[in-house]
Amino acid sequence: MPRPQHRPRTARPAAGVALAAALALTATACGDSGSGKSGGEGSGKGKIVFWDNNGGVRTDAWKQIIAAFEKKYPDIQVEYVGIPIADVQKKYDTAIAGGGLPDVGGVGTAYLANMVAQNALEPLSDRIGKSGLKGRLVTGMVTGVQAAGGRGKEMYELPTSANQGTLWYRTDLFGAAGLQPPTTWSAFYQAASTLTDASKNKFGFTIRGGKGSIAQALEMMYAQSGIDDFWNGDKTTVNDPRNVAALEKYVGLYKKSTPEADLNNDFVNMVAEFDHGDVGMLQHNLGSYNDHVKAFGKDKVDGIPLPPSQDGGVRTIVSNPVDGLGLFKSGKNKAAAWKFIEFAASEPMNSLWSQAAGAVPANTGAEQEQWINDARPTKAAMESLNDPKTKIVQFPYYLPDWNTITKADTEPDFQKVLLGKMTAKDFADELAGKLNDAQADFAGHAK
Amino acid sequence: MTAALVEEGALVPSAAVPRSGRSGRRGRGPTDGPPHWQIYLPLGLYLLFTLVPFYWMLLFAVRPDGSTSLLPWPATGAHFDKVWNDRSFGIFFQNSMLVGVATLVLTTVVALSGGYALARFRFKGRTAFLIALLCSQFVPGALMLVPLFQIFRHLQLINSLWSVVISETVFQLPLSVILLSGFIRGIPEALEEAAWVDGCTRLRAFFAVVLPMLRPGLVAVGSFAFVHSWNHFLFALMFLSEQDKQTIPVGLNTLIGADSVDLGALAAGGVIAAVPVVIVFAFIQKWLITGFSAGAVKG
Repeated sequence: MPRPQHRPRTARPAAGVALAAALALTATACGDSGSGKSGGEGSGKGKIVFWDNNGGVRTDAWKQIIAAFEKKYPDIQVEYVGIPIADVQKKYDTAIAGGGLPDVGGVGTAYLANMVAQNALEPLSDRIGKSGLKGRLVTGMVTGVQAAGGRGKEMYELPTSANQGTLWYRTDLFGAAGLQPPTTWSAFYQAASTLTDASKNKFGFTIRGGKGSIAQALEMMYAQSGIDDFWNGDKTTVNDPRNVAALEKYVGLYKKSTPEADLNNDFVNMVAEFDHGDVGMLQHNLGSYNDHVKAFGKDKVDGIPLPPSQDGGVRTIVSNPVDGLGLFKSGKNKAAAWKFIEFAASEPMNSLWSQAAGAVPANTGAEQEQWINDARPTKAAMESLNDPKTKIVQFPYYLPDWNTITKADTEPDFQKVLLGKMTAKDFADELAGKLNDAQADFAGHAK
Repeated sequence: MTAALVEEGALVPSAAVPRSGRSGRRGRGPTDGPPHWQIYLPLGLYLLFTLVPFYWMLLFAVRPDGSTSLLPWPATGAHFDKVWNDRSFGIFFQNSMLVGVATLVLTTVVALSGGYALARFRFKGRTAFLIALLCSQFVPGALMLVPLFQIFRHLQLINSLWSVVISETVFQLPLSVILLSGFIRGIPEALEEAAWVDGCTRLRAFFAVVLPMLRPGLVAVGSFAFVHSWNHFLFALMFLSEQDKQTIPVGLNTLIGADSVDLGALAAGGVIAAVPVVIVFAFIQKWLITGFSAGAVKG
């Protein structure tokens, strides 16, 4: 059979060129890790890049702030990039390893230690001390940021807002059932039971059984037990018998007063269930306030801080992640970038942003704004935060393994507890063991 | 001849034909198959189960905020307006379309060349190459993020849609090459040889004889490449750091905040993201099924 004519063989030279190109790319790719390289202060003019760590939902507020900033500083342009919150840590990690970090980025205390450990962020205490923000930041948020950074009193993010666990409840359903607001734990459990009629798909509470379940479970445990320190020496108090008893009561709500589908609830499903169904109560933070108002209007829903462990006693709350802005070491125009951070944290801008986010502002000047008086849940959260008697349990966000332990490692176990396949005590002991090991590792490295 | 007889049912033993008492009573013949309800009821239930999430998405997309109605009425276009204009989905859609079409074209062209070489030429290392292609399927994309990021950065392709197109193409190629080589092997080489006898070069014979017969395979590979790149999130998120370069999956994810989610906007974004895929499948489903089944038996 005749074969078609072939051109002269050129495969080998082509392969050689391809191989050389691949080797050259590999060699150049090793040249710059992107991390730890310090940029310069720059001229204080020109373009800076800002990554919003919770892009989308708060984009409008940021665009207003950027417009106001560019009006005040016409020689600085801010390029806004919204990053989905679920993947922001991955995005930062890739940019730290591969290069391409922004000048300014939204940073939360939940992953601050990880970024500090990779030497990506500029220390900010000196800059804050020389700025108009000195003495104007909420003390609790400052200490939270310092603790989360894990480098003593140094701050690696400028706090802009904080969140707080809130017990949301439907005032219309409570009114119809003749129930009082759940300001005590007995009232809470009573309401959860009274408002449940599973045959009519009505439930007193919705529990978070899926992604993010551990932080909420811990919040419920400490609020009920009243234990006010996460550590007792070098051991965690997570598995203290009082916390275990609180956990047993909390998980006991599952299926009795909650939908069975709650087993896989992440916050999206949980909030959707509350906002679009017949559910009496929801434990979530202030951030979902605007969603509830959109769904019900202000008159049919209210939010209060979690009740104190003893009726009329001292309230115990856990430290929720503090959101803030970080200045990246690799930035080449830090002077302009810092101007933007300072501007965004100023009283009017911080107020604007916190209102849009439904969060507690970090700038003390913003606390007196009218919108806070109008937003009852935010005001109640601020009052409980500012109450000198309130005990705040500081979560160890500084532990590099905190997220892994409280998410991937432990969330499946929490589902086992809900399903009755694991006891609350075994769950708490296992979680405590992992946290104690992580703390020991951290202490060992610190030495 | 035998095949024709089998097709007509003459050689099918009567015991092998399923009977249905009820169909018999209605005067249906023994080869009529099961009654319609036995086909349509399970299919209907399956369809209902599959379509409920889509209905939920449509409902939330057109229902005004605060409504708890289970019917999409009264309807509003506010959510679509919000995501398309305020959340830049118009730009994201355009970017996703560019990435999808470019990935489709590149994947199909390169996989066609590679598949032809694997099907028609015997060369040293052919088996090893095939095994390497298969093995590359076991490497998750996330593992390659940092190296790819560095390569694109040095090529100055970060923040260029080409970085996503190239990555998507590279990750689509192994499966596409393997699939297309299977299709090409299924086309008798004698057909090409006949074209050569008539004076065609290999390239001309390929275009004149092989390519027209490859349509189901090309549709399968091309649509798979398009849909995968349309839906893929990770590379777009990592390699594109400018707002006006991002794609639909990244845009959708930004609608889910840390503590708050705009369900109406999310559902409207979901509808916008689903429409091109649904249209693509509606047009190509005939060839797609043929393509995948042909590849399955002839590979």
